Amino acid sequence: MSLVEVQQVTKEYVKGDQTITPLKNADLTIERGEFVSLMGASGSGKSTLLNLIAGIDRPTSGHIFVDGENITQFSRTRLARWRAENVGYIFQMHNLVPVLTAYENIELPLLLLGLSSRDREKRVNIALEAVGLMDRADHYPRQLSGGQEQRVGIARALVANPTIIVADEPTGDLDSETSEQILELLRRLNTELGMTLLMVTHDAHAAGIASRRLRLEKGVFVEVLPIVSFAAAERN
Amino acid sequence: MLRFIPYILKTLWRHRTRTLLTISGTAVAMFVFTFVGAVQEGLDLLLNDQRQDRSLIVFQANRFCPSTSKLPEDYALGIRKLPGIKDAVPIKVFMNNCRASLDVVVFNGLPADKLRSVRSITLQDGDWSPFERQRDAALAGRGVAQRRKLSVGQKFSIGALTVTVVGIFSSSVPAEESMIYTHLEFLQRTRGLNSVGTATQIEVLLDESTDAHAACKLIDDLYRSGPIATNTRTKGAFQAKTVGDLIELVGFTRYLGLACVAMVLGLVATTTVMGVQDRIREHAMLQTIGFTGWHIFAFIVSESLLVSLIGGSIGTGTALVILQTSSLALGTEGILIAFLPSASLAVTGLVASAFVGLVAGVVPAWQAARAEIVPALRFA
Repeated sequence: MSLVEVQQVTKEYVKGDQTITPLKNADLTIERGEFVSLMGASGSGKSTLLNLIAGIDRPTSGHIFVDGENITQFSRTRLARWRAENVGYIFQMHNLVPVLTAYENIELPLLLLGLSSRDREKRVNIALEAVGLMDRADHYPRQLSGGQEQRVGIARALVANPTIIVADEPTGDLDSETSEQILELLRRLNTELGMTLLMVTHDAHAAGIASRRLRLEKGVFVEVLPIVSFAAAERN
Repeated sequence: MLRFIPYILKTLWRHRTRTLLTISGTAVAMFVFTFVGAVQEGLDLLLNDQRQDRSLIVFQANRFCPSTSKLPEDYALGIRKLPGIKDAVPIKVFMNNCRASLDVVVFNGLPADKLRSVRSITLQDGDWSPFERQRDAALAGRGVAQRRKLSVGQKFSIGALTVTVVGIFSSSVPAEESMIYTHLEFLQRTRGLNSVGTATQIEVLLDESTDAHAACKLIDDLYRSGPIATNTRTKGAFQAKTVGDLIELVGFTRYLGLACVAMVLGLVATTTVMGVQDRIREHAMLQTIGFTGWHIFAFIVSESLLVSLIGGSIGTGTALVILQTSSLALGTEGILIAFLPSASLAVTGLVASAFVGLVAGVVPAWQAARAEIVPALRFA
């Protein structure tokens, strides 16, 4: 069974007197350990699809199964709990809490899992080490560079060991050198930790690091490159 | 929720100027609320003390100010002989100010041997014997002693009257603690009062079974055709009549207190709404990573509750400390309303602050908790 199964998903919303349909009858499967990039023009529905899979939006029709669970049928509260346990979200704008240190920002998702402070500390330190920011644990977001902020955002996304990590334009706010570092970090999450990633990007180069590249054109998926799992490749 | 307390506190500290201003405004408003409540409590206690219905005040008919009421002192002897009367004590009242004032000093002159039997007072400092022996001796209530910085052995003057303080007392009746007791004869002979043989009023103590209203009628009937006609009422009714004007004024201040609470509501609600608007994206991010709407609701309500409670505690606490240390009493025509810094007032202040904090936070918290995540994440 695939990790993610999107079945005939349509999303509509009303803007003024117009009904906009960014996604119509979309089907998609993502296997465990895959790194899928999703490209498309603005308004093609790629972020909408990512948000639907992340459980922060609901489809107008259709079903989304993640790890066998139909998340479209979850209540608002259950969906929030499901996100806490299963989804790591990397934002374009980092969205760190400015009054919390890097350590505290990364710890936030763990506060929902009922872990002891010792367990939380252990996990946060592993995440900090994974993103190479052990020496910045006590720094506030304003004391970090854009790249470091994004690394904190990535650490926050992976710290709860989620089923899937979704990234919405993770390099969209960074310069090219920092973007390379972040992309390399994401690739390592997939190859070294075996994490499943779904990344939305405008940048064809960024999309190139994924094992599978998809393009959304008028609601239809176009697979651009053959499937290559870095995780599988590393294992081989 | 405990594990989120650091986040809540740091969030409040994020806009520290705004938070501190809101706390200050809340503190000022709750200070006024508590102060007004203290006056109200003092008045309620004065008017609703059941003990006041077991004693009567005989005043000169058609006189309202102590300085104009002059009854023959020996009226007390005649009253004592009436059935159902336990005792009758002539009292001379002298004060520095007949009008409503926050610093009225009221002297009650009565026979030294009667003071202990008609007043429920306990000496905190000094001794009874010099009071009974010494002609110009005075016992000062601890309220007036604190306000006027009086101590045992000190001489104290108001106008032509000079007394020696030989004791400081406390009383179960808070207003009593703003009184000074001295000898009737000494007060009668004070230069300028010209009142030898007269008293301002006669205080009558009733037997347990005596009907107070019947006793009033009996006394007034006794002196209806005497040299000076009397007007007798229960002590409670006498005090209520005397402070009648103040009752309306103090009643009005109740609205002032409520207006203060409404102001706190507006202030805390505005701050909370601003805090929520500043953090639309942050709340969306928190929900994205798994926080529920109820978490967001609880965070915002906690913030508003904390701001209101901190401000309320500072305001209420400051008011209570000032009330306790200043021993203020509002006096008019010889009757004193003590400002009472009570535990119930402290609880009322804190409960009102907490309630206002909760109410102020509920609507913005509900809106933030129900906000759609995706549009909120795009909010600039």
